[in-house]
Amino acid sequence: MSLILARIDDRLIHGQVTVGWSRILQPDQIVLCNDTIAADSWQSRIYKSAVPPEIEVSILDKESTADFLNNLPLECKTILLVENPEDMFDLVRRGVKIDEVNVGGMHHSNSKYEMFEYVYVNRTDIAYLRRILNSGITINAQSVPGVKVHAIDKLALDAIESIMP
Amino acid sequence: MINGLVVTHGEFGVELVSVVEMIMGPVPGLTGRSNSGKSVSELAEEIKELISSQQDCDTILFIDDFGGSCANAAQLAGAAGSSTRILTGVNLAMLLDFVTWRETMPIDELPRRLVEKGRQAITAMGPVQEG
Repeated sequence: MSLILARIDDRLIHGQVTVGWSRILQPDQIVLCNDTIAADSWQSRIYKSAVPPEIEVSILDKESTADFLNNLPLECKTILLVENPEDMFDLVRRGVKIDEVNVGGMHHSNSKYEMFEYVYVNRTDIAYLRRILNSGITINAQSVPGVKVHAIDKLALDAIESIMP
Repeated sequence: MINGLVVTHGEFGVELVSVVEMIMGPVPGLTGRSNSGKSVSELAEEIKELISSQQDCDTILFIDDFGGSCANAAQLAGAAGSSTRILTGVNLAMLLDFVTWRETMPIDELPRRLVEKGRQAITAMGPVQEG
């Protein structure tokens, strides 16, 4: 397997991925790892229909995703999408080999604090982002190719946590 | 590389360009312009200047509606020529495809593709069946 992008994005499959990143990265396939959508054929069909025909798409639960990724041929260029840091860490824990995590969108909701325009976090998010970092993985926030990259490192997480009540 | 100039009524074109960049990242050479507060001849003059400032580069002009003042201004600017083309009915799909192909496809072929892509994006979506 060749993971060309491992992305946390709560919009999952959308234009920034299927057009923005795909134009630059030319993936063979997109793997969306999400328990809720994988268990719902109706939602799965909607997300699948959003992917251009030249890109394969698989929508899998967390348990199947690790096996699926680890058994892919090396030359298969893959974009992995998950909804939140917890799901990404779950895949790391299951042995998926990831060097860098891209944070593309964690949008505003109650009790979340702004790190960047498109990245809001709560304490749970911070805890899982720390676990990802502690697994030796780099985390960068970048919505689309060509825009500023923000490091989500220990310092950045300490800083956002320090302003939380 | 082909440049793009989106000329529309109000801020529609300017916003379209900003949405394209929100999806694809920065796109050098793609510009949005409004007709607000400009006569047709002023707009034509502005289009002419923008095209001539992009020397050595082909340009596709994207207009919102055929027959409107922006389309008239584009034609008055003499924008339909060998290195410049005018497309009307601009939409998001058309612009995303433009950004994807403008580096590799020549100006003689790209407009036809973009018209096709823009049309394909217009659909009446039916319900997705349950189960």
